[in-house]
Amino acid sequence: MNSGSDSDSFDEGGLTTRGRKSKRKSGARASEKGKQKAKDQGYSWEATYARSWDTVQEDEAGSLTGAVAELLARGRRRRLLAPAAAIRRSIIRHLVLLLDLSTSMTDRDMRPTRFDLTLEYAREFVTEWFDQNPLGQIGIVGMRGGIGERICEMSGNPQDVLHAISERHKLEPVGEPSLQNAIEMARSSMSHLPTHSSREILIIFGSLTTVDPGNINETLSSCIKDRIRISLVALAAEMKICRELCDKTGGAFGVAMNEGHFKDLLFELIPPPAAQQNTGTGAGGGAAKMSADLMMMGFPQRLPDTAPAALCVCHAQMRAAGFLCPRCGARLCDAPTDCDVCGLMIVSSPHLARSYHHLFPVKPYSAVMSSQDATGSSANCHACALPFKTTPATNIGEGMSPFDRYRCQDCKNDFCTECDVFVHDVLHCCPGCET
Amino acid sequence: MDGSSHLSLIIDLSPSQWHLSAQSSNPHPLSFQTFLSHVLTFVNSHIASKHENTLAVFGALPGKSSMLYSSLDADSGNGNDPPADANSYRPFKVVNSVVTNNTQKELDLIGGLTEEPPVALVGALTKALCFINRLAHPPSGSLVDEAAASADPRILILSVSPDLAASYIPVMNSIFSAQKLKVTIDVCKVFGEETVFLQQAAHLTGGSYIYLERRDAFLQYLIMSFLPPPSLRHIIAVPRQDKVDFRAACFCHKNIVDIGFVCSVCLSIFCSPVAVCSTCRTKFPMKTLQRLNASRPAIPPANGVSNGSPRPPSARPSTGMSASLR
Ligand SMILES: [Zn+2]
Ligand SMILES: [Zn+2]
Ligand SMILES: [Zn+2]
Ligand SMILES: [Zn+2]
Ligand SMILES: [Zn+2]
Repeated sequence: MNSGSDSDSFDEGGLTTRGRKSKRKSGARASEKGKQKAKDQGYSWEATYARSWDTVQEDEAGSLTGAVAELLARGRRRRLLAPAAAIRRSIIRHLVLLLDLSTSMTDRDMRPTRFDLTLEYAREFVTEWFDQNPLGQIGIVGMRGGIGERICEMSGNPQDVLHAISERHKLEPVGEPSLQNAIEMARSSMSHLPTHSSREILIIFGSLTTVDPGNINETLSSCIKDRIRISLVALAAEMKICRELCDKTGGAFGVAMNEGHFKDLLFELIPPPAAQQNTGTGAGGGAAKMSADLMMMGFPQRLPDTAPAALCVCHAQMRAAGFLCPRCGARLCDAPTDCDVCGLMIVSSPHLARSYHHLFPVKPYSAVMSSQDATGSSANCHACALPFKTTPATNIGEGMSPFDRYRCQDCKNDFCTECDVFVHDVLHCCPGCET
Repeated sequence: MDGSSHLSLIIDLSPSQWHLSAQSSNPHPLSFQTFLSHVLTFVNSHIASKHENTLAVFGALPGKSSMLYSSLDADSGNGNDPPADANSYRPFKVVNSVVTNNTQKELDLIGGLTEEPPVALVGALTKALCFINRLAHPPSGSLVDEAAASADPRILILSVSPDLAASYIPVMNSIFSAQKLKVTIDVCKVFGEETVFLQQAAHLTGGSYIYLERRDAFLQYLIMSFLPPPSLRHIIAVPRQDKVDFRAACFCHKNIVDIGFVCSVCLSIFCSPVAVCSTCRTKFPMKTLQRLNASRPAIPPANGVSNGSPRPPSARPSTGMSASLR
């Protein structure tokens, strides 16, 4: 299953813990779960991770199929609700990650500590973010001792960013955080960016205070003016100024309830956001629309390790492997980069292609409901050749087909549940339509 | 390494390309009959290497794709069992007769066409990926056992047709899905020019791309390069081509380009500066267009790629300009 439905089920787990616990108490296999039950008691911060698979309930017959079908059904409904048309997304993203490194981060309400957990999730976040936003850049600013501290310059290389947050001892939490100082620092590092890129700030904030040298509302209005989108994940509780920062700049605000929810909140910010058509509340009414531009890019040729060695233009060293600039033929060590000789932006085409499925999503398949429809077409799944059920299933979730058939509206081929999920969540192209 | 291995074989069944391949004017003519007999020997070796090995064969035909053989269905016995023969190993016999019969059936079906549409390689590739996904998530109560589910899967494409630029995006999507499923894509270019997209597919999934030079030694290439499953390849070195062409296809004319113009909003690629992005309807500033158009004559003709050179702007930019002046 995909991560989306994972988080769905997770939400449910978070909200219905109470109910789940009581059910578990009456469960037949109490001895087996005894240890876990003991841990479930008491305050939520003393509990272990709420795991999404715990929320899956066995039905009377001891089978999980009902629960799994429900998960699938929910995934389908979510897809049907999503807008069908391709939406504009600002794909060349620039993000500054603001990490709270104040003493409040040593709190142990999230395990092992807020600080360690934040570093761990930040690393996963960076890896996944670059995977989905290949042309984006990330910078990192820390908040400690009342000032903003530049931890990593804006960089498009995930390794640089990961390296900057890999050394825990250099980031030890100390003192008070200053939202204003850190935001101003992030803002200045994004001031030179071309107008067609998105500017975002993501704050992970564990404190309930901020020590600012001036009026933070002025910082907020300059962020609105600069079209910077601020998102914040609070680890402690909601602060009015935090919510205001997010609401007025069109970002997302969330308070993490527990470790898993913290991760969900962070990872929700990874997919490219739809481009801002106008700045939310209209505070920046007169601001220029984020302008688009046409960029010239070169797609290089990669030379094998066995190629004759030559001087590279970036380090002036003899190298065998490398890339050739398609315009001037210069030897480059790495892509993406700017050619040092002719200035052409060099990207390998798979870098661009990774984001294309956002542009051309596969239309949702419709569930085949009547047996009349089902018998009219092929007996096997068009993609994986699995034979379809001939007798309708009785207990099915809403929006699910009793015959396990989902029909593409364009090519009129039928697909099984597994392929329906795979095509829409992973493959992003319909096997029937691609002839 | 001890586990079984799954092979999804994709055979390019383009009648016109096979006709060209068989012509005696070629340095090493290879007819479809010889090719098929080599392929059958190869798949026999694959099933013989390990009892649990699974196999699926897909055909990419002009305008359609179909599954020619699957070891899941074959076990259940679907009527076209060959007569028993004391002198041959039954599993070989079954594979050979099913693949041959189905190939013949499919080729007969397209026999009546006067014009040959391009082969549906992407269709076959996406079906192979769906099939592997199904192996990884066996539906309850199916015949798939644990061994098949844990197999390290790979796809081998035997290609004879040139790149189809229109399928650039689906090919790319398939490559990324293969990466997610941890599927290795191997490519053997049996006939015709090098294909940029399949080179990228092999490179990005850690497979090998081999351009067949001595086509009379086809079977030898298959056995030596493509028989070892990916898990064995750190022990048995297989030849691979490291030179990879990272060119892309433009969205407007489906040309394969090495220098493109990219929309900053949606990253669509165009072969010449356009005023409006055809994908996301973004209007580009006049200044940029003038600058790019001015810099274009400086571009030397793309190195040896005839279809890669930008075309002069046609009627499209003028309509776009009026739109952007509005
Ligand atoms: Zn270099
Ligand atoms: Zn250059
Ligand atoms: Zn299927
Ligand atoms: Zn379709
Ligand atoms: Zn665009």
